[in-house]
Order: sequence, then structure tokens, then C-alpha cells
Amino acid sequence: MTGSTIDHLVSLMVFLGAILLFIGLFNQTIQTAILYQRHRSIATKCSDLLDNILLNPGVPPDWGKSNCTPTGFGLQDPEFTQYRLSPFSLMRLLSSAGNRVYYSRTGKWYSNVSWGIGGGYLLLQESECIDYLTASKLLGTNGTYGFQLTISPTVTVNIRETKLNPLTLEVQVLGPGLPLSNATLNYLMFWASAPKEGALSRGNATTDSLGLAYLTFPKIRVDNNQTAYTFIVKANVGGLYGIGYASREIITRAGNIIPFIESYENGTVLLAHKWGKNDPGSNVAALHFNATFYVLPDNFSPIKVDVLNHTEEVNYGQGKPFYAVQIPTSNVGFLIVTYWTGNEYGMVVMPWGIGAIGISVVFGDNPSGKEWVATDMRQVILGDISYQAKLALWSLQGYQVVS
Amino acid sequence: MMRTIEVFLVIIIITAAFIISSFFAVLPQPRQVSPLNLRRLALTTLQTLDVDYDLSGTAFKSPGDLAWGNLQIALSACLPPNIVYNLSVYEVISGSSGELYRFTNLSISNAESLGVSSDASSYLVASSNVTFNVVPEKIGEHGGGGTLYILNCSDANGWWITGYTGQNLAGDLYKLLSPYFKTTIMVQNTAQLREIMDGNKISSLPQENVTNAVVINTFGECVPIPQEYCQGHERESEGYQPDVNYPYTRYCYTLGQKTRIHNWTWVSIVGYPLYYVSNTAVFVNQQNGWGIYGMQMTSQGGINAFLQGLDNKTPFQYDESGITGSPGVVYLSPEATYYCNYYGIYPSPYQTSTRALSTSILSNYNLNVALYIFNQVGNYIPGAVYRHVAQGATKATGILLALGLTRTPDIRLTALGLLSYYKPRLYRSEYTASGTSRLVILQLGQVGGV
Repeated sequence: MTGSTIDHLVSLMVFLGAILLFIGLFNQTIQTAILYQRHRSIATKCSDLLDNILLNPGVPPDWGKSNCTPTGFGLQDPEFTQYRLSPFSLMRLLSSAGNRVYYSRTGKWYSNVSWGIGGGYLLLQESECIDYLTASKLLGTNGTYGFQLTISPTVTVNIRETKLNPLTLEVQVLGPGLPLSNATLNYLMFWASAPKEGALSRGNATTDSLGLAYLTFPKIRVDNNQTAYTFIVKANVGGLYGIGYASREIITRAGNIIPFIESYENGTVLLAHKWGKNDPGSNVAALHFNATFYVLPDNFSPIKVDVLNHTEEVNYGQGKPFYAVQIPTSNVGFLIVTYWTGNEYGMVVMPWGIGAIGISVVFGDNPSGKEWVATDMRQVILGDISYQAKLALWSLQGYQVVS
Repeated sequence: MMRTIEVFLVIIIITAAFIISSFFAVLPQPRQVSPLNLRRLALTTLQTLDVDYDLSGTAFKSPGDLAWGNLQIALSACLPPNIVYNLSVYEVISGSSGELYRFTNLSISNAESLGVSSDASSYLVASSNVTFNVVPEKIGEHGGGGTLYILNCSDANGWWITGYTGQNLAGDLYKLLSPYFKTTIMVQNTAQLREIMDGNKISSLPQENVTNAVVINTFGECVPIPQEYCQGHERESEGYQPDVNYPYTRYCYTLGQKTRIHNWTWVSIVGYPLYYVSNTAVFVNQQNGWGIYGMQMTSQGGINAFLQGLDNKTPFQYDESGITGSPGVVYLSPEATYYCNYYGIYPSPYQTSTRALSTSILSNYNLNVALYIFNQVGNYIPGAVYRHVAQGATKATGILLALGLTRTPDIRLTALGLLSYYKPRLYRSEYTASGTSRLVILQLGQVGGV
């Protein structure tokens, strides 16, 4: 009787232990499968969301050309179909690439798409930008998914000065990880060395097997900052188009000039007297400047639009920290500002429309530190420039998909 | 002891069950869990490479051409380093049994194999040496109607068509729309207008059919009036009502009636429909207040009268109350946008509307919107095709196309509206002809990982 009871108890305990073990094993398999399923769902959502963003222009379709808040979010160019993006809608996205910029003279914050990268500035007043939260709400992902959208040129064009007198530039054309040999280059060179002396020259070249081309400009001497220039080059190989730029931005004894877009819809740009990120001191000399806007059609033949009748100046001593100019807003182009004090010349460029000179956009939250991030990409076109749109998406809800 | 043995037997059974179920419960590979959408990537790559028709050009070049080398560089440059590709070109051969695709031996690749999984997209390119021939279906070819009347009256002036005249707009519309209609006839004067209002033909063309015709008023906010309908002439009672602010609104009522009787599609190309009437011979000394002679104002009562006539409201009630609004910037509807691509007509997708008709006309005059040319804004419809279906009837009796935009007119919008409504098909006769089209297939695979 006792032996039977012991047998019963032992067998029961072994049985219960075995059951628990197998429940655990089955549970693990099921858990892994569910996790895989969740990951798969995020990846699918990532692909869908990317198409959703890229294949519809939003509501209203021209929200990128006004300062209204859209009621539907999308980046497609409303005048085209397929994966062609609006250069203007992209401009209005609140950049998460660089730190926001505060300009004390207006007391406003500006979205920092580009702060002096290659002498290029794109600073748009934050109140006119579409922020991540608004976009998330419009896309229906607020609180459920986080994302970061990156729109960057497929072709990278690096420009470097190799000789100052006469100016010689090295142009390097790169794809993702490999040089583009035999690429056709068409370039524009804007330069100025006196208040009323300046010119536009254009030409073409071809890259060698290393993706390099060397361009010499006999008339341009940049030693001692006696000449400023903005160089814009468009590269093409096999139907792949890229664009790059370099503007000779220097900080003169009287500081430099930085363009802030004050009113997006009206095209009001403040040409602000700055010294890097800081304002110049009160005892600096006046800084003279000139500004010209160029509309840049797809045929790469710029159309000049004068935005100033004569040279202007900014001067802290006389209380002129900035000067407001108005540029035409309906076409893609760029604003070139030439500034000087004494014999020192500098130049900065501000694109109007992403894609005009090949600037990238990063929009959304930061994916670093997230538990599981799905990514997808598409090739897109801005104007005729090849870009890549990459979306990183992660879940804000669920088991083992959030950190 | 027996029970312990039994338990061990159970454990063996459960273990076997676990092993067997684990065998069937195969978890996907990590790559399948988070796949890069290779099909979309391939399609967008092909579209990108053809942005300036470089891919189209290369697909028709011989294998040794430098363009193939450049295409290979471009492909390698625009795809991520872990993506391998194979691009192949096929000749499209069309025959009675359908389309065939023949491999052309034009192929480039950067790897011997595309890995364990791959995906592909195709893209049709056309040779730049080929002129495609598009033959449109004629409106009226299948069924009644098919006659397009364009008012080109030499004895009338236009308004709200600044920079144009009714006559040169008529010429442009003729060029734009005549390929789509069985018969296109220019109404050269108001006498001919009177003839078609009476249901009579004005040409010797056997296909001319007054019933179910489309009538385009090219004179903007003004409409030509035959002299018979003017004061002191034989049909004065149908065109002139004394003792009201704008006596010629009565003519608009008659026009509405004729539109209903003949089942016309009446087209107002811009602005407020029927705001003036014009006959340069009768109204020699009358101008519209802005220096354009030969006109009499009907004001906002004109469209009210027209709609009353269209809806057969009797007797005519003079009503000069306004039924338009000014919604400002308006956008082409999705349907109109689609047909922009189909017919290759590309007006600006957004326009300014200052004379959009109110939605109240729909219920007041038994109208329904058959096509929105522009999206509705609040209670206003900036541009649409309205079908009149009388109460209790099933068939339409009269159609109105009204574009309540500000000047100057864009006749492409008129053409787009009409074509989007009638939807004549386009037969692209050469598009699949042998040697003119090639199919480019880009197959992508991923290397690395599991």
C-alpha cells in the first residue's frame, strides 16, 4: 500500500515536472513565432508607410508651396506621378539633422537643414515647418510607431580647392561606395572680386576612372580671399543625375552673412549679419553685400532674378543687423549672397527647393536605442536629380519590439 | 512502479509530440522577417534611370555601346552594396495571338547568382525613333450624338476671355477636340445658332446631328443671341422680357429649354455662365460698362433663367439672385487628374475660382454631378459636368458643363472636362508594334546574411 502511494506520488511529481517543462518549451516556440510575426508586421508597415508618404502629395496638394498646415501628409510632387517628390514640401519638414538655430534679433527658432555645409544655408522659421508630431498624427502612426525619414542624394559630389591661384577645383563624383567614372559634368561658376565685378561662367568636363575631374579657372584667384565664388556642378552617368555645390564662405573681419527664411509663402529672406553662430561684436565694420536669385530649370540654364537694385550693407553700429529681401517662390532655384569688407570677399548660397543644389533632409525621431527598427528604401526623383528615400520604423507598443 | 513507467511513457509521447510539432513549426529566416522590398526598389531604380530617357535610349543600343557601360556604373552606384542585380532587355513582339517577349541578348549583371531570394520589376521603354500613332475613338461612334458645335459667331463679342476673342478660342478648341468627335462644326454667326436652336442642320454633312450635340460657348461670360430674339423682332417674347432690370435673361431661359429639348451638352468655358448676351449688329451702341460694345447684361439672372429652362419650370420666373461663390484656389479632382495623363492634357492642377456654382442648384433644378472637374469646396462646385434628369425620368435631358474660374480662360480645362465625361478611348496603334518597344527587367537579390 505504502509502495503504491510512493509510486503514485513520484509518478505524479515527475508528470507535473514534465508538463511544466513542455509548457515552457512550447511557450518559447510560440513566443518566438509571435515576435517574428510582430517584426514582420513592422517591416510590412515600414514599406507601406514609405509608399504612402512618397506616392501622395498630401492635402492640399500644394501645401509645400504655402505656409498652411496640411490635413494629409505626403511628399509627392502634385504635378507628377510615381516617385517624384516635391522639392517644396520637403523644404517644410522640420529638420532633425542639425540643431535648431536661434536668431536673437528676431527672437525666433529656425529649422536647420543646412548650416554652412559647403557654404550652403537652409534655415526656415520653425513655426512654418511641419513637425514630426503633426506628420505622425496625419499618417496615423502617432503613439503606435516612430519613424525617421531620410531623403539624400544618390550621387555624392565632393568639391575641394586644390590650388588658390589660379583657382583649381577637384570634383569627385561618388555613388554609395564607389567612384563614378566617365560621368559627364556640367558646371556653373559664379564669382565676384569687386562690388560690381563678377561673372557667371559655365562649362563641362568628364570624370576619370577614379571619379575625379580637375577644373581650373584662370581668371579666378582666391588667395587672400580676394575673390568669392559659388560653384554648382551637375553630374550624369547612365541616367543617374547628381548635383553638388561649393560656396566660398569666409568669416571676414566684419563677420559674414547668413540667410534666414522668414516667410516661406512670401519668400522673405533675412540676410543677417553673423559671425559663425554668434552675432558680431558692436565694434566691427559694416559688411556690404549683394544678392541674386537664380531660377534653376531642369536644363541647368539658370535664369537670373535681381532681388536687390544696388549693394546693401548691414552694420551693427547703425542698427541694421539684417536686411530683408524677397525672392520668387514658385520655382526651384538658389540665392547667392556675395559679401565683402575691404578686399575680403565671401559668398554663401541658399537653395530654394530641396534638390536645387543637392541638400539632404532628415525628418522624424532618432532610431538609435530602439529595440527593433525596420528599414526600407526607394529611389526617388527631385527635379531630375536622383535621391534615395529611406524610412526607419519602429514600434512604440508591444512585447520585445520596444526598448 | 507501474505508474512511474506509465509517466515515463507519457513523457516520451509528449517529447515525440514536441519534436514532431517543432519539425513543422519552421520559423522564417531573419531576412524574410524584415525584407527589403526588392520589387519596389527595382521599379524605382528603373524609373530613376529613365528620368531623362537615358534607359530608353540604352535599351535600343548594341551590347558594345558605351551607354551599357555607363548604365552598369549607374546601377552599381544607385543600389546598396549588398544588392546584386541582373538587368535584361526583351523585345516586345505583338501579333494576333497577343504580345510575345523575345530576349535580346542585352543583359548586364554584377553577380553570377542572385542569392537565395530575389525579386524583379519590369519597365516598358519606347524607342526614340518611333512616332506613335494614337487614334481616338470618336464620340458618337457608338450611339447617338457625336456632333460638336463650337460657337464662332462673327457677330458677337466675348467677355472674361481677356487676351483672346471667341473666334480664336473657337479655332483652338477645334484643333483640340475635333479628333474626338464624329463631326465638328463651327457656328459662324448667330443666324446659324438660331438654326440649331430650331433643331435644323447647318451643314451638308450627313453625320451632323443636332440632337445630343455638344455646344461650346467660346465667348466666356457672354453668349451670342440671334437677332430674332431681340427686342422688336419676331421672337422677342422668347428673348426679351420688359420691365425687369435685365430683360434679356429671358433668352437664357430659351437656351435652357433648347438644351433640354435637344439634349445638348452646353459648355461654359470660364466665369459666370450667361452673364451677358451679345449681338454686334443689334446692340451696336450698347456696351457692357467696360467698353466692349455689342452686349447687354443679363447679370446673375442669366444662369438662373437657363437652369429654369433646362428643368422645364413654367412659367419663367425672373430671378436675378446670385448663386455663385468665390472659393479661391481650387484643385483638379482625382478623376480629372487621371484623365490628364490619359489624354495628355496638362493644365495647371490648381486654378482660381471666383464664380463657382452653388450646390443648391442640384436640388433646385434636378441636377446631379456626373463629373467633378475640380474638387468641391464647401457648398461650391468650381467646375463640373451637371446632368439634368427630370423628376420621375431615368434618362438625362440636357447637360451643363460649367467652369467657374477667373479669367483668363484655359481651354485645356474645357477639353479635359468634356473628354473626362465622354471618355473616348485612345487606340495607340503603334505602341506595341514590333521593334518599337522593349521590356526592361531588373532583378535584384540580396547577398550576405541568412
